[in-house]
Amino acid sequence: MAITQFIVNGLLIGALFAGIAVGFALIWGVVDIINLAHGEMVMLGGYVSFWLLTVATGSTDASPTVFLATVPVAIAVLFVVGYALQRTLVQRVIGTDIFLTLLVTFGISIAIQQLAIQAWTANPRSIQTSFADPSMTVAGLTVPKMKLLAFAGALVLTAVLYAFLQRTRTGRAIRGVAQNPEAAELVGIDVEHTRAVTFGISSGIAGGIGAFVAAILTIDPQMGLIYTLKSFVIVVFGGVGSIPGAMVGGLLLGSVEELTAGLVSSRWTLAVSFTLLIVLLVVKPNGLFGEGADQ
Amino acid sequence: MSTGESEERGGRLRSIVPPDRVEWLFDVCGTHGWKLLLVATVLGALPPLVGLEDGYYMTVVTEMYLFAILALSWDIIGGQTGYPSFGNMAFFGIGAYTTAILVKDFAVGFPIAMVAAGLLAVTFATVIGAVVLRLRGHYFAIATLGVLLAAQQVSRNLDITGGASGKILFDVPDASTFYYLFLGVLVAEVALVYYLSNTRFGFVLNAIRDDEEKATAMGFNTTYYKTVAWMLSALFTGLAGGGYSLLNTFLNPQTAYNGSWNVELIAMALMGGSGTVAGPVVGAFGLHTVIEYVERAFVGWQLVVLGAAIVVTVVSFPDGVVGTLREYASEMTYYERGGMAATDGDDAEVTGDE
Repeated sequence: MAITQFIVNGLLIGALFAGIAVGFALIWGVVDIINLAHGEMVMLGGYVSFWLLTVATGSTDASPTVFLATVPVAIAVLFVVGYALQRTLVQRVIGTDIFLTLLVTFGISIAIQQLAIQAWTANPRSIQTSFADPSMTVAGLTVPKMKLLAFAGALVLTAVLYAFLQRTRTGRAIRGVAQNPEAAELVGIDVEHTRAVTFGISSGIAGGIGAFVAAILTIDPQMGLIYTLKSFVIVVFGGVGSIPGAMVGGLLLGSVEELTAGLVSSRWTLAVSFTLLIVLLVVKPNGLFGEGADQ
Repeated sequence: MSTGESEERGGRLRSIVPPDRVEWLFDVCGTHGWKLLLVATVLGALPPLVGLEDGYYMTVVTEMYLFAILALSWDIIGGQTGYPSFGNMAFFGIGAYTTAILVKDFAVGFPIAMVAAGLLAVTFATVIGAVVLRLRGHYFAIATLGVLLAAQQVSRNLDITGGASGKILFDVPDASTFYYLFLGVLVAEVALVYYLSNTRFGFVLNAIRDDEEKATAMGFNTTYYKTVAWMLSALFTGLAGGGYSLLNTFLNPQTAYNGSWNVELIAMALMGGSGTVAGPVVGAFGLHTVIEYVERAFVGWQLVVLGAAIVVTVVSFPDGVVGTLREYASEMTYYERGGMAATDGDDAEVTGDE
């Protein structure tokens, strides 16, 4: 029974990881950048939601509806941040050496991190949501309602992104740029703008999920890197450019981590996930669903 | 930042430091490399002898040597071979813990502990390298970062490393020992890298960086070459770490496997000019001076400055100080030999060696 409980917990958390990883994969696929500042977008989204609640209601306790109302704001703010970062900095290194792209995003990451420490101190913070009955029991398994809400929220965000990419004109432009930037330019797509929008959307979704992270876990200025790395593990696992792959990868990573934490100790989760990553990279470099992330 | 002005093609700078003068300087460095290294070593060895034994500035200089070792070690695998390692600090941590544990818990002499630190780092590199060196580009970068974080977590969880609270070391050698230790390691490393840059080994590493498949097609066993480069990088990083734990007298997982140092040393190599011999050393001296100043003047903002410095360098001078100067120097040759028509041939010649 305990194992089932761990897996359920893992799936609930895993959906959040998956949602974050989807944005990471999108930037990787479309802009061809490994965005090491992606985790910082999660962090900033969490803080947007946190401060919005604190300023608006005067406390960090909020009813679920009020909390949910802050999520779109976090998404919007982070969309702007992502768009601006791409337009001002990242755009300049596209197509150059990978060190340069990695270093630029890492530079952005550490600068944002320390600015956040300066602004908000390094203390972990969290949002408390007040449910009348905080958890429910289904078939003997405990499911905290807030985690269920976060799970649903992450799934909805991912599904909306998927539909957006498949159905809308902008979504098709994004996929076009991912496949072949030159050809996309030839048929009249503004490639730079499309890339910036991609960056914005990915950051926005990361920010929205960051709000949920603030509600079910804690946020602090230095949390970003771990989320970036988890996204990487998930994307490598699912295959670059595959949203269903990222979804499965996220749920699986969540389960593996919860199982490790439950059966061994939470101190070993990181080492286990990375051993898994390295084994996976060597054994199956294209991921489970990948269309070939060659070298 | 004076290199920035050369980008503008401004006439003023051109008349003060004409490109052919810079080229002449490169020629001198190229032909008298060994003598210059000897002079630099003697100059480096002087300060403690004339009485400047301890104090703040000596510590800073010692740290500058330390970072120069780290940056140059990174450059062997990152700049020369083209494998962007984000996990070099794992070797540093292993070296640091080796000396700390041996000296404190097993009462082993410091010199023997240093040797052990180097050997253990190399062994670890060989094992890890067998796996991660199969990966390239982004995958390699993140896999090595993963190795670093995993190593950090392991040392946080073990008993022998003192767990999260780390180890405090007493009875360490005095400051000038470390000054000479790091200077010695640095000189040895510069000499080795300089020597290798003109050998077949160095050329194969550069060939791997430029196009690994072609290098394989030419019949080189690239796995062998890049593994040796990776081991050399680990050896010097491990030695630096071995010295650092006793210099610092304190070691915990956070300082031993310091992720932001890993970025700092990449930034140093890149700012100085990666893939050259002098570049990483110049970059380490320069950036460490800046960081040291910022840490004293703007406490708490050093990472913001570092992040901004990295972004600006990468965006504006991706070739670093040495690379940008060299480009400036080769301008004259470019015109003398008839512009575009001659670029193919002499490009290789001008950028050939340090």
